[in-house]
Amino acid sequence: MPSYNRFNNGRRSVSRVRAVAAILMAASLCNPGLGAQAAASSASGTKIDTDQRILHVLNRFTFGATPGEMAAVRKVGIDAWFEQQLHPSSIPDRDVDARLAEFPALRLPVPTLLERFPSGAMIRQTANGKLAEPRDPYLSAIYNRHIDLYEEKQAKKADEKPKMATDTDMATIGIVAGQAQGQLPLNQKGKARLDKGRPAYAELLVKTTLALPPDERVKRILTMQPEEYGQLQDSLKGPQKMLVTQDMTPAQRELVEDFDNPTRTVVRELQGQRLLRDIYSKRQLQEVMTTFWLNHFNVYLHKNDEAPYYLVSYERDVIRPRALGNFEDLLVATAESPAMMLYLDNATSTGPDSPAVEKQKQRVTMGKPAKKGTPPGLNENYARELMELHTLGVNGGYTQKDVTEVAKVFTGWTVDQPALGGGFKFDETRHEPGKKLVLGKKIKENGQKEGLQLLHMLATSPATAHFIAQELAVAFVSDTPSPALVNRMAQTFLKEHGDVAAILKTMLHSPEFWASDVYQAKMKTPLEYVISAARASGVEIEDTQPLANALNQMGMPLYSCVPPTGYSAKAEEWVSTGALVTRMNFALSLATNHFPGIKAKWVPGHLEESGPNQSEQLLEARLIPAGVSEKTRAAVIDQATGQASGLPTGTTAGVEGNQGNMPIAARALSPSARQTAIERQNAQLAGLLLGSPEFQRR
Amino acid sequence: MQTSRRFFLRNGALALAGTAALPAFLTRAVFAASATASAQGKKLVVIFQRGAADGLNIVVPWREPTYYSMRPTIAIPQKQVLDLDGFFGLHPAMASLEPLYRQRHLAIVHATGSPDGTRSHFDAQDYMESGTPGLKSTRDGWLNRALQAEDQRVKQPHTAFRAVALGTDVPRTLAGRIPALAISNVQDFAIGGRGPKPAPVSTAFEAMYDQSSDSLLHSAGDSTFEAIKMLRATDPGHYTSDASANYPDSPFAKNMKQIAQLLKANLGVEAAFTDLGGWDTHQNQGSVDGQLANRLRDFSESIAAFWRDMGSDAENITLVTMSEFGRTAHQNGTGGTDHGHANAMFVLGGHVKGGKVYGKWPGMAEHQLNEGRDLAITTDYRRVLGEVVSRTLGANNLEVTFPGAQLNPNQFLGLV
Repeated sequence: MPSYNRFNNGRRSVSRVRAVAAILMAASLCNPGLGAQAAASSASGTKIDTDQRILHVLNRFTFGATPGEMAAVRKVGIDAWFEQQLHPSSIPDRDVDARLAEFPALRLPVPTLLERFPSGAMIRQTANGKLAEPRDPYLSAIYNRHIDLYEEKQAKKADEKPKMATDTDMATIGIVAGQAQGQLPLNQKGKARLDKGRPAYAELLVKTTLALPPDERVKRILTMQPEEYGQLQDSLKGPQKMLVTQDMTPAQRELVEDFDNPTRTVVRELQGQRLLRDIYSKRQLQEVMTTFWLNHFNVYLHKNDEAPYYLVSYERDVIRPRALGNFEDLLVATAESPAMMLYLDNATSTGPDSPAVEKQKQRVTMGKPAKKGTPPGLNENYARELMELHTLGVNGGYTQKDVTEVAKVFTGWTVDQPALGGGFKFDETRHEPGKKLVLGKKIKENGQKEGLQLLHMLATSPATAHFIAQELAVAFVSDTPSPALVNRMAQTFLKEHGDVAAILKTMLHSPEFWASDVYQAKMKTPLEYVISAARASGVEIEDTQPLANALNQMGMPLYSCVPPTGYSAKAEEWVSTGALVTRMNFALSLATNHFPGIKAKWVPGHLEESGPNQSEQLLEARLIPAGVSEKTRAAVIDQATGQASGLPTGTTAGVEGNQGNMPIAARALSPSARQTAIERQNAQLAGLLLGSPEFQRR
Repeated sequence: MQTSRRFFLRNGALALAGTAALPAFLTRAVFAASATASAQGKKLVVIFQRGAADGLNIVVPWREPTYYSMRPTIAIPQKQVLDLDGFFGLHPAMASLEPLYRQRHLAIVHATGSPDGTRSHFDAQDYMESGTPGLKSTRDGWLNRALQAEDQRVKQPHTAFRAVALGTDVPRTLAGRIPALAISNVQDFAIGGRGPKPAPVSTAFEAMYDQSSDSLLHSAGDSTFEAIKMLRATDPGHYTSDASANYPDSPFAKNMKQIAQLLKANLGVEAAFTDLGGWDTHQNQGSVDGQLANRLRDFSESIAAFWRDMGSDAENITLVTMSEFGRTAHQNGTGGTDHGHANAMFVLGGHVKGGKVYGKWPGMAEHQLNEGRDLAITTDYRRVLGEVVSRTLGANNLEVTFPGAQLNPNQFLGLV
């Protein structure tokens, strides 16, 4: 059987023209130019959007092709679809909006978010009396709990006694050491952890708590003492944990999670909304570009206590609205974001001749002690990364002297009371006076405007155009994009003044994008892999945590790239022995519904009577429209056949006393048992397909 | 040959198209080859203390009067220090390592570190791991390059386990051309579940990747299943550490235990890495007791247990510890210390000339401090590591491992 690609949801009837095109397509894989043959074969001479071209566009400009998306593109054509994607506000996104309603906290301005989901710093300051306690009774309960925990921890640190190492003490020492380790989550189990003597009470506690109607349940939990709450947490078994917030409104659920751990609640919601958007949003190009720019202008989630909160705003207010807009606009917005100013330490950078330092010097000569955290000085971190990573690139022609001068330009670009979630502020007293010389250009003394002038210079530099073009070409076209392509994109960048949409269109209309050696050639990053698996399998997601965990395991934790370089888009970064093991195990777990809160259904109606061959065909069409190799198909079907006989692969021949190679349909099973058997068979086939070499690429 | 090979970043990857040689000679003679390698070669274990460990309270200069005046509440009292050589002493929580010092397996280098003055954790760790302080453009790590340097000298077959990191991803230290494997749990390093036999799905996957025309994934797949098979053959489910080991019950101890497991299993491990966090004691660090003490106890007991666990194999191990920088000489206003400069490194091994604290002590008078606040560096950490890699791995080409450092073997401390 020729291995031509099956695109039509498993329906074998393709139109004559399409069949011809498809066969020619398969043949043309050896020749350059997807679509070239097809165009030639068209009678009318108009460009045909063949399914392969559609697949390619969707693979590169969305998080993974789905049968629904393919149908949509087929209907209006690639160019029209792309144009629409460039105007996300014109695309209704009701499904995602409904899902995002689960996270009301993410709509809050940063100071409110910090106040309602207090960070460690907020708790400390409230405990020390520097901040007033909240009036709202629920919020007050939350604060009180965390203040209690904080004070308990302080007390413990103050009077911890050493224990001499004996065998019996190992476990206790281990627990104490483990708790003190900075890496553990903030969730502190109360003293009840060691109180194992009350199992009956614990059971009763869980039962009565879970039995309460939601309104009562919230109140009950928020008024629990640490011991009781700890006992509740410890007594809940896996799936029961979701029952704690069952039937609650999003706001109620947030209160309960806030009570448990405020910052972690914010992080979970931030990661959750990102995953849900990537998987379900119709505005795929916007999400793809949001991911791209979040990576380009990387900010690390755990830089400090406030970073998670500022990241909520960073993605929502700075990046996403500008993801398809203008580069300079985006650059300035990141430069003026508290997230970036804090991450790259510019917020505390102070000019050596600034008024603040002068004042400090006077204090010291007058015999007064220097203020804490002094002497303040110039911090070059942002200045360097601005040029090295955000604009010109490491070979962009700047020197160390330039870095220092740029740092001086940005002195004063700071944040107003970051511990309280304050916004960007220009602090004149930190600003270095005098003119600066950057890349051969003089910048007159002009307060904050110096920085804007410099950002304009950088945003319009040909080196920047080239650097950004290169990065986009690697992300969307190839790990080794042709210089011609990159130049063309750079020219568009300069001509259209950094218009991102225009650059993307140049890419879309470049022959290099459509070269046959580009098709299905890019290795998926862990994010692309996980999201495309979710999209392809059409899973229904109630809890995104397993996906976030998978990303952690695969080495691409969300918002957690520590250095400002961001994650690489190249194959070499992500292919390794450990990575493959993790991906294959993930594929199996996802497909076989091993993750609580994530459900796949593998039994569409007409699969009921199918044998392994047909099941494989239908699943392949759904999961990997580009098709798989004969070898992969054989391995998958072998597995299914082996399953049908209930024996491990390779021992299917000549077995007596069982149903042998009988398809499930032919076996003597009750209807529901048959259904289960089919579902299980298909789940495993799907797992194998999602873990196949073909699915690793896009 | 080097120019035609691709260059790999964090997680490392296997040979690309054009260097099809890779899997073939690995698959068959694996056990024989690795047995030879492990009999001759020595192994290096690297531990990174992330967060800037407080070297002055770990290896205490108890004869320095300013140590006590600068740290009025957090200094370790003289009577409680575990004296080493009449000038330095160990924090009392490190009692487990004291015998190793007495037996002359454990050496310490003090006032060592990275010359770059950054006080950013991220930058400093990056610089220390890449082995090129101050240079952000270096994408690979010193240990990976050390293995490459070894290859320049000695050509021998290696397995997928040559460079192993215990954790979820390959650290910068091991990033580079030589493939490195990150394992977070030895028992779970399988597909479709643990067990003495491969799960049917695992066999199906193996067939898929073995037959794939995607050469990158084909060789990665080959290596993956080879590694899984090799590990399975050692029956990891039934492994027990040596009865005398007595590991504490902590995540770090578990990692050390698994490193021992892999080393002892004749899998061809040459370099192993793990890390431990929680050292960033800005407030309430405690002195004899407290945060730092607890961390040191776990640290010492796990390493001592590892040493016991290795038994006679310990002869061929060199274990080295490091941290991105030290902490301020003075304590701060919140009972802790802030980011500093020089720190202490531990070097433990069968061939180590232990029982001594190496390095020139810069002194702790105010004028002797770095930038008026931290312990000054008198030994570049690359000098320590350079000696360790050349004597342990035979990686004599120091320019490859630490480009730009201009290391001279004549200036080695004589540790190993």
